Amino acid sequence: MDFVCNFPFFSILLSLFSGTICSILPGKAAKVVNRLVLIAVGTMSGILLLYLLGTGESFVYWMGHFPAPWGNEIRAGVLEAGMALFFCIIMYLSMAGGAHKLFDEVEESKHNLYYILINLLLSSLLALVYTNDMFTAYVFVEINTISACGLIMIRQVGRTIEAAVRYMIMSLLGSGLLLFGLCIMYDLTGHLLMSNIKESVALLMQNGDYQIPLIVSVALMCIGLCIKSALFPFHAWLPDAYGYSTVSSAAILSSLVSKGYIFLLIKMIYRVIGFDIFNNTRIIDVLFVFGLMGMIFGSLSAIKENDIRRMIAFSSVAQIGYIYMGFGMGTQAGMVASVFHILSHAATKSLLFIAAIGLTEVSGGSRKFIDLTGSGYRNKWSGVAFTAGSLSMVGVPLFSGFISKLLFAQAAVQVEGKMLAALIVLGISTVLNAVYFMKTVIRIYATTEDAPYPCMTFKDMKPYAVVLVFFIIVNVILGVSSQPIVNMIEQGLAMFA
Amino acid sequence: MYLILLPILFPILAGFAILVFPKEPDRRLLTATAGTCLVITGALVLCTLLSASQELMLFHLTETLPIYFKIDETGITFSFLTVIVFICAGFFSFAYMKHEQNEKRYYGFYLMAFGVLNALCFAGNLITFYLFFELLTLSSFPLVLHTGSKEAIMAGLKYLFYSLCGAYASLFGIYFLYHNCDTLTFTAGGVLKASAASAEGRFFLLIAFVMILGFGVKAGMVPMHAWLPTAHPVAPAPASATLSAVIVKAGVLALIRVVYYIIGPDFLRGSWVQTAWLTLSLTTVFLGSMLAYREPVLKKRLAYSTVSQLSYILFGLAVMNKEAFTGGLLHVLAHGFIKGTLFLIAGAIIYTTGKTRVDELRGIGKEMPLTMWCYTIVSLGLIGIPPTGGFISKWYLATGGLAGDIGIFRYLGPAILLLSALLTAGYLLPLTIQGFFPGADYDYTSLHRQEPCHLMTIPIVLLTVLSVLIGLFPNIVVAYLTNFVSTLL
Repeated sequence: MDFVCNFPFFSILLSLFSGTICSILPGKAAKVVNRLVLIAVGTMSGILLLYLLGTGESFVYWMGHFPAPWGNEIRAGVLEAGMALFFCIIMYLSMAGGAHKLFDEVEESKHNLYYILINLLLSSLLALVYTNDMFTAYVFVEINTISACGLIMIRQVGRTIEAAVRYMIMSLLGSGLLLFGLCIMYDLTGHLLMSNIKESVALLMQNGDYQIPLIVSVALMCIGLCIKSALFPFHAWLPDAYGYSTVSSAAILSSLVSKGYIFLLIKMIYRVIGFDIFNNTRIIDVLFVFGLMGMIFGSLSAIKENDIRRMIAFSSVAQIGYIYMGFGMGTQAGMVASVFHILSHAATKSLLFIAAIGLTEVSGGSRKFIDLTGSGYRNKWSGVAFTAGSLSMVGVPLFSGFISKLLFAQAAVQVEGKMLAALIVLGISTVLNAVYFMKTVIRIYATTEDAPYPCMTFKDMKPYAVVLVFFIIVNVILGVSSQPIVNMIEQGLAMFA
Repeated sequence: MYLILLPILFPILAGFAILVFPKEPDRRLLTATAGTCLVITGALVLCTLLSASQELMLFHLTETLPIYFKIDETGITFSFLTVIVFICAGFFSFAYMKHEQNEKRYYGFYLMAFGVLNALCFAGNLITFYLFFELLTLSSFPLVLHTGSKEAIMAGLKYLFYSLCGAYASLFGIYFLYHNCDTLTFTAGGVLKASAASAEGRFFLLIAFVMILGFGVKAGMVPMHAWLPTAHPVAPAPASATLSAVIVKAGVLALIRVVYYIIGPDFLRGSWVQTAWLTLSLTTVFLGSMLAYREPVLKKRLAYSTVSQLSYILFGLAVMNKEAFTGGLLHVLAHGFIKGTLFLIAGAIIYTTGKTRVDELRGIGKEMPLTMWCYTIVSLGLIGIPPTGGFISKWYLATGGLAGDIGIFRYLGPAILLLSALLTAGYLLPLTIQGFFPGADYDYTSLHRQEPCHLMTIPIVLLTVLSVLIGLFPNIVVAYLTNFVSTLL
């Protein structure tokens, strides 16, 4: 086994221990440690990705050299390594983009706590991405929830505490359901390792035994993860959690944390239940309908919103709906589109959150649209970045959003019964997206006579502006050279099977 | 080979540079820069057109979706119109925009829209076309909401939403075509797979209809025409001139591309889609003229007139025979020059007198004789009186309609065209009559000559002369058009 194969394990452990170390460091040093860890993990994931593309097959890593079914396993393929790399990039950019706001938002004595939570979050995300064991996944789901809760609550304002409590209750409900499902599954199959469960499930299906408990278990796990990733009817916790936490937290929560759960669900579909078995259940139809409803109702809520951060948060509900719609199609193409949309949405949504903070900064800290009038002139970098993000969300060609919509549409055309519903809702949702994002863009570029707020120039915010540029570049790369990425996703999904 | 990119990228980059220039520059410097850029772009387009039959595969958006440019006759016709109108209106705006704010933004987006339109003319497949179609909406709507008043912003939003809805309706169709065509490259006669067309014919007719409706939004076809009379009057006059003369023609170009180069006219001929399209376009012709007839505000009246005249072109396309198609393309040119002139004249009147309603303009012909003479000449052209451009195009449209195999529309079409021409006279000529013959009770002592400056009159005169020339010597254009139309149909 090559040395590179240790990298997933190193990544998880490094981020876990750096979290512990941060607790005894002062805030500034903790920040440096956090950045270094992100760079290190990102580099390792990059190297791993190249290695896997070279070998062309995934590998299983035995923790402590205990073979299955006793030992714990880590598994890495192209998709896992790519996701880890992408998560690191987005997290680094989100942290760097929100760093200057941290002093306004969080007491200085709590800065190292903030970085502990971020590091824990990173380690749990990595574990969710790499693990090959359902119970390990469950443990890290809980760690993820705790650290996400802390990230929401660390800004001690009334609304954030309420938001965190809400998030806690909903999330625990989600992990509870996941645990139920897991227990039933363990009862039925006697295994916790993904590959072993899959074999047993295939056997059960073949013999026709325990059909109902099996479906119930799968449904419970799905719904649990849906709640945690804020699929439409379970999204009530989302707008407050994303809207009032610190800006980096909002960007990370919306673009990474919910995606971690979705990625776990994808892994479950392929590696635990089996893609074909999952698609023969009615569960995909439920996911499909919830996805479609989310696409419309999320956008409608966003249109009604008068607060830019909450508007962006509601837009996430719609975008999560897209992803679940892709699952609901039950085809390989739909899955590829969903995975691509995970990337595209993560890149765009964090860009929007980070750009929005620049706009509110030059509007006296207010997030109401009326105060944001003309803010695109006062902070040109944020204005341009927000416009780019909006165009991507609306699905203008050359940005990532267009490609994901194209992939969804292409996938939809191949599915007989769901084609028309998917395409029509896709069209409606796109127009609704255009309504609220273009409304905002026009608002920030409307001219006002009296602007009592100061302007920001490049000199005042060099790192911030650079981060915005990087975000735009990531978006355009996803939009212009999507083919290699789509190929990688296909290759990665093939490795899952 | 990369020459084809120059007339696209140069104005877009120049416009972008003007937009991001950190401070509001000196007015003379700004106009000089914008003027130079316009002239250079015009020259670049001419160079590209002269070295014809070019193509360029730029890059692949995804494996099967290339960004591809190719110059063909349809593109050349539209790009010819674009260049002339954009340069004339551009120079006109150097004088006109004196009394508007934020000129930097105006010229920036003006140049970008110019570049995007060039790209639209040169686009070689449906995806490239769609890309620039969206960009056209995005780069032209800042021109609509330029004044920044509440009314203008609402008009801009209306324009944006109508256009986006239309574009997405078309995209909906593109998704299906993508799966059932061998390629999306524009090919004369269409690329729809014969197997798909015969197996699911009814379904593809529906798709074709959705796409016609979708792209028809930009061309102001009923029932989605409402954005046009809202958006045109609030934009600065030179911007409305380009909107009305060229940008809405992008919708026409889109319909030509989709119907004649992707789906194929043979598939649609004689189907309910053709009937529906004919009905919609003739309804629009009549409705637009009626609304224009009743409208007291000059720019709004011209906007309604645009709605009506564009559907003349659409009628020509919907008939699907050679004469009518030639007539449609001729009307693209004639209407482009004429309506460009009319909007510039409306701008000149607003600039010098500040009046917007037709009934306030008594005696205007005595005050601005040159401008109003041009107005009269192009008005006669739009009505369709020889020897101006409008006559030739309407002649071809009417004979094409009569020769077409389209049932009752053979007679209904030309009749409505004639009726609408009568209405056109009814809404355009009163201004001439009032302007030159204000009546005995008019107070002649208050009259003073106030012809606008040369920067305004020269573009107006130039466009007027062109619209007359195309009527006096139509043979060159007609020969060119019939030559390639015979390869297309």
